[in-house]
Amino acid sequence: MNNIYEAQASNRLKSVIIIIGFMLFVGVAVYILMQALGIYFGYQPGGLGGVGIAFIISGLMSFGSYYYSDKIVLGISGARLADRKRDFIFYTVTENLSIASGLPKPKLYIIDDTAPNAFATGRDPDHAVVCVTTGLLQKLTRTELEGVIAHELTHIRNYDIRLMSVVAVLVGTVALLADWFLRMSFWGRRSKDDRGSSQAQAVIIALGLIFAILSPIIGTLIQLAISRRREFGADIGAVSITRQPDGLIKALQKIAHDREPLEAANKATAHLYIVNPFKAEGPERSRRNPINTFSNLFNTHPPVEDRIKELQKMA
Amino acid sequence: MPLLIILLPVILIALWAVSEYNFFVSSKARIKAAVQEIGNQLKRQVELIPNLEASAKGFLKHEKDIFKQLTDARRAVASAVDSGDLQKMSEAGAKVAAVLPALKIAVEDNPEIKGSEVVTKLMDELRDTSDKVMYARRLVIDLTADYNVKLVSFPSSILANMFGFTEQEGLITPQKGEHLEVRDSDMKSPRVKLD
Repeated sequence: MNNIYEAQASNRLKSVIIIIGFMLFVGVAVYILMQALGIYFGYQPGGLGGVGIAFIISGLMSFGSYYYSDKIVLGISGARLADRKRDFIFYTVTENLSIASGLPKPKLYIIDDTAPNAFATGRDPDHAVVCVTTGLLQKLTRTELEGVIAHELTHIRNYDIRLMSVVAVLVGTVALLADWFLRMSFWGRRSKDDRGSSQAQAVIIALGLIFAILSPIIGTLIQLAISRRREFGADIGAVSITRQPDGLIKALQKIAHDREPLEAANKATAHLYIVNPFKAEGPERSRRNPINTFSNLFNTHPPVEDRIKELQKMA
Repeated sequence: MPLLIILLPVILIALWAVSEYNFFVSSKARIKAAVQEIGNQLKRQVELIPNLEASAKGFLKHEKDIFKQLTDARRAVASAVDSGDLQKMSEAGAKVAAVLPALKIAVEDNPEIKGSEVVTKLMDELRDTSDKVMYARRLVIDLTADYNVKLVSFPSSILANMFGFTEQEGLITPQKGEHLEVRDSDMKSPRVKLD
């Protein structure tokens, strides 16, 4: 037994710890890569410097996808606007849960696809979009749909899309620096002006190489860990709105056991959905298997069984 | 430098105090708005029910009881809204919610109206309107709980005392009474007869 407030507090704490760890990691990686790059450049660039340039490039690449996230994703997924008469349950359920959570009602869209799934996007609650598939509306009862929509509204309320965009920018910055360093050590030439401290330089270059190779992977792994934490957070938040863990549990089971692939999803949008649309995690896949525990590190979502277990503690 | 060391904590504490103060005042405003939202939803209910009655009349002419219940509920809500008393309003809202189970039984008993779109629509709308009132109440409960927790927990309690913030009542529910007691009859497992 675990009440909502305890679950919320513990999840928030874990989330903060991961994010602080992520910040430290980004700081150390950027520092070492810059030191190592400095040896090739022969000086430490002042002012904006390499980090600034990498940050701006990475930021520009992610900014568009963040600022126009609602429009881009909807364009890719081919969704249509929901209407109160035609999609009565979807429309009213979202309306009601928006009342309960004190959020403005998001824009509602429907993807014509029989695989049940749902996602939320948009840069802030005023530009939020909740999108579901026709399969979800057909296969879930009203109570189950409330669980799913409440999960999506919690993502919106917690600014998860904004957080994940910031994280993506930082991972991108580290990856760019690492890439530059690798190219420099391939094509570049060490500056010859101070040969005195060549031993220290060798250590920094060795460290730089290690970081250049490992940090993009480590960054991505932490990014995925944050994403999984936010999914747990959204599940708990959903229960705090509906107070009916059973609704979300049954909905997750139905979505996970459905074997149909979601045609509208692709690798770029997969992380948005309430359950990973690629169904890598079938019900027959056991958690005990060490290979699965390892492969879970590369998933944007925690395994559905784990999410259900957490929810059952609150039921 | 020493000046900075003295100033920095002062600035931090001031920033914290401002954000706490703002939490208390904005929470109070939100609670007030949430209470108004309940009234808003109940008003919607009052306007909705006559329309539903009119559209379902033909199909439910044999179900006089349900009609009476629906009309009574509507009257209760209307008079409660006029009185402006939130407590009365939400009690009346419960009456509307009670029509739904009765309607379901009636539909089960009459297979000929089961498939009718009008009746399904009536049931959907009734469930929706009572959900809306329920969720509007949920928001008041949640906001008041957040506010009241902050009011008594340390260190925000110091600030609350300084500025004289007091506990918010939210929805008034009697702290004693039947709804908190478990009787023998409640302990028996429910029996469902299917025949």
